[in-house]
Amino acid sequence: MKVTGSHLVPLDRARVYSMLQDPEVLAACMPGCEKLEKSGEDSYTMKMKMALAAISGQFDGKVSITDQNPPGSFRLLVEGTSKIGFMKGGGLLTLTTEGDATCVAYEGDVQVGGTLAAVGQRLIDATSKMMIKRFFEKLIAVQP
Amino acid sequence: MASVITEQEKLIGKGIKRKEDPRLITGTATYVDDMQLPGMHHACIVRSPYAAANIKSIDIKAALETPGVVAVYTGAAVKDVGPVPCGASLPGLRVPHHHILAQDRVYFVGHPVAVVVATDRYIARDGADLVEVDYDVLPAVADPEKALADGAPAVHPQWPDNVAFNFHQENGEVEKVFAEAEVVVKQRITSQRLIPSSMETRAVLAEYRSGEKALTIYSSSQIPHLLRTLVAGMLGVPEHKLRVVVPEVGGGFGSKLNVYAEEALMGWIAMKTGKPVKWIESRRENFLTTIHGRGHVDYYEIAAKKDGTITGIRLKLIQDLGAYHQLLTPAIPTLSVLMMPGLYRCQTICADIVGVFTNCVPTDAYRGAGRPEATHGIERMVDMLAAELKMDAAELRLKNFIQPGEFPFASATGLTYDSGDYAKPLKKALDIVNYMGLREQQRKARAEGRWMGIGMSTYGEICAFGPSPATPAGGWESASVRIEPSGKITVHTGVSPHGQGEETTFSQIVADELGVDFNDVVVLHGDTAIVQYGIGTFGSRGTAVGGTALYFALQELKAKIKRFGAMLLDTDSVVYEEGRCACRKTGNSVSLAEIAGASYRAMKLPPGTEPGMMATYFWEPPNFTFPFGAHIVVTEVDKETGVVTIQRYVAVDDCGKILNPLIVAGQVHGGVAQGIGQSLYEHGIYDDNGQLLTGEFMDYAIPKITMMPWIESEHTETPSPVNPLGVKGVGEAGTIGCSPAVVNSVVDALSPLGVRHLDMPLSPEKIWKVLQGGQA
Repeated sequence: MKVTGSHLVPLDRARVYSMLQDPEVLAACMPGCEKLEKSGEDSYTMKMKMALAAISGQFDGKVSITDQNPPGSFRLLVEGTSKIGFMKGGGLLTLTTEGDATCVAYEGDVQVGGTLAAVGQRLIDATSKMMIKRFFEKLIAVQP
Repeated sequence: MASVITEQEKLIGKGIKRKEDPRLITGTATYVDDMQLPGMHHACIVRSPYAAANIKSIDIKAALETPGVVAVYTGAAVKDVGPVPCGASLPGLRVPHHHILAQDRVYFVGHPVAVVVATDRYIARDGADLVEVDYDVLPAVADPEKALADGAPAVHPQWPDNVAFNFHQENGEVEKVFAEAEVVVKQRITSQRLIPSSMETRAVLAEYRSGEKALTIYSSSQIPHLLRTLVAGMLGVPEHKLRVVVPEVGGGFGSKLNVYAEEALMGWIAMKTGKPVKWIESRRENFLTTIHGRGHVDYYEIAAKKDGTITGIRLKLIQDLGAYHQLLTPAIPTLSVLMMPGLYRCQTICADIVGVFTNCVPTDAYRGAGRPEATHGIERMVDMLAAELKMDAAELRLKNFIQPGEFPFASATGLTYDSGDYAKPLKKALDIVNYMGLREQQRKARAEGRWMGIGMSTYGEICAFGPSPATPAGGWESASVRIEPSGKITVHTGVSPHGQGEETTFSQIVADELGVDFNDVVVLHGDTAIVQYGIGTFGSRGTAVGGTALYFALQELKAKIKRFGAMLLDTDSVVYEEGRCACRKTGNSVSLAEIAGASYRAMKLPPGTEPGMMATYFWEPPNFTFPFGAHIVVTEVDKETGVVTIQRYVAVDDCGKILNPLIVAGQVHGGVAQGIGQSLYEHGIYDDNGQLLTGEFMDYAIPKITMMPWIESEHTETPSPVNPLGVKGVGEAGTIGCSPAVVNSVVDALSPLGVRHLDMPLSPEKIWKVLQGGQA
């Protein structure tokens, strides 16, 4: 499933870029994220709780950041498995300056499997949009 | 309906209320999940979330440490258990070894990988969540046409083309007929994957008594005896030490005409642990792992003369088999080929099946099994031909029907149609709807800008499976009748009714044949320890084959009754009427209870006659039966929303002699409901990665009562010469007749827009797109 959209963050581009690479910021902003630890150069292990309709589960996963092109763009890959199935999402984030703010545009794919796909597929679009929205809301709120 | 039954009244043909219903509607019937055995454990199965993956490792430590978890088994533990059996054989058929638990690779989402056994169901489930399986995910393919393409991922690495078999059948000069045809109509037609969705999911309980070395498996099945033979083989248990009991079954529709991994697995666990173990399939598991139905992509060509005479039918059938063969998987599309000429005289046919492996749950028999697909195909093609020739659809059908004087009729596919008058139900249905008036109404509706459609289908069926040489495991059926010393009657039937109402119809047969009270008869089934070997219930065979076995057992018994009657009345010649043996000369008579009692006390025996009053009969049918009928559907399509409303549904079914019109009506209603489900709502959808996207009833739409039209059910009665009861079978008729009638009706409604064909299901979204001028 394709996921595209953009959010405006009222901070300058370099600042937003570095926040998006900071595991502590990411951990604080990702909805349901319980743990995010650096496991290598630009890669992290993650524990995350996710609920979709009547099902919920604890995901163990990996986050990796590639193709960094500061402060303009980078690629994010998130993979997680849980008792309710698996998810895999990846995409390109592009940062552009808009006045005093930065527009973060994303374009990617989300793939789910197992129970998550069988009973939750019709909600994935709405849920992923909601999660992304919450992520940016928090990002604005946590700015140091 | 008849509530007071006198002995003299013949019960056959009457709408007797079902004996089964009080226990079913009061919740007092016993299903597998109602059974509790001392010390019973519960099993939960760990299943693959991936459609294709190598299993790198399985960590069961955390699961085993859970308090209450008794054992965890993985593929390695059961690798020596025999494979899940495929009963179908076709030349060159590739049969993958189907282990009861995955070994080193998984092939579809839901593939069983491990099993957790615990002291209760919830702990078993918690334990299953703690089993860590490390997968190496592989590319999957879920669409049969994509699986045939070059470079598609191989479902089974040893067969990179994903082809399980090719099957060819032809009759007549196909090339010549098509070359010389005045008209040829071609169309790709799909019959989408359906999920059978019985109200009771699968359920297994196994108990092993080590002292007796005897295993008992309770299972929600349609085939207790075949299950016993096959599971005994899988587990290496001597067949006489395995008992299969099928208690109440909450629906099967073909999905329980099978032998599943879980049935053998529970037997194996019971033997391994020495404790009874129960597994109840969850609804989500049912969607993922119980067989699906249909799964066809058909390429049809029909050749005809300008006057409408059909001269040839050509079919390329792509069957989505799924990842494995279940019991009859590869045989199902061959039934479509047998049925492809429908009710038409055409003798030139050519069919090619390619059976394709996909990373999906296997397809197999689902109500109609191959025949709904074939009927949908031919009946859509005939409508398209009528449109091409600008002929009326009814007229074209009447022109091509096999005529009443031509029976027995040798079909182009090698069948012998037993009896029929195909114009009769069609004409009756046309009369009921006032066809000419309806067409006039349609003209007016169109003038008002409303999309009203009239569609019909005339279907034939292959029922009463069947002559043994034409079935994988024997097609006969057995019955035994025992008259107890008090005159009460116990019937043991080899069929395994699970909604078909044979406890009632068989009681009617006994009551009429022996002149006894309907309530003095009990019909027992579904326990291999008490019932002689039988084949089971599927393919509209229960009454046509099982009922006939009962009929012949009753004839043998009547002869014995008369011998005892004559002895007791001290005469040479007796008549048996209304439950008494009478001597015409003296006027003396003796009741069945007295005769039965005398046969067991055996103070005196007729010459050459054994004591007791019991007869057993195994009946081998000489042929299938061929029911037929006509369904007419009037629809209207909402221009704004694309919603299809069925305004009238007329079904005229000829299922041979009707033993109980109430039960026949129930079968027609249920069949039509499932046909409407396929036509308008249901679609089992896998995404490109082999993930089932329709895994619950929120996404997989079976029709609710409010989505059903009123069904005007009528009949014609053309007795079958194949059996003395004259019955043909009606279990699948509704499903088979329905879908082409609904689709023909909607296509007819939209024909002014240039619509020629639509594939099922006709969802509002699909129709709306057509109305917007797009493609369906």
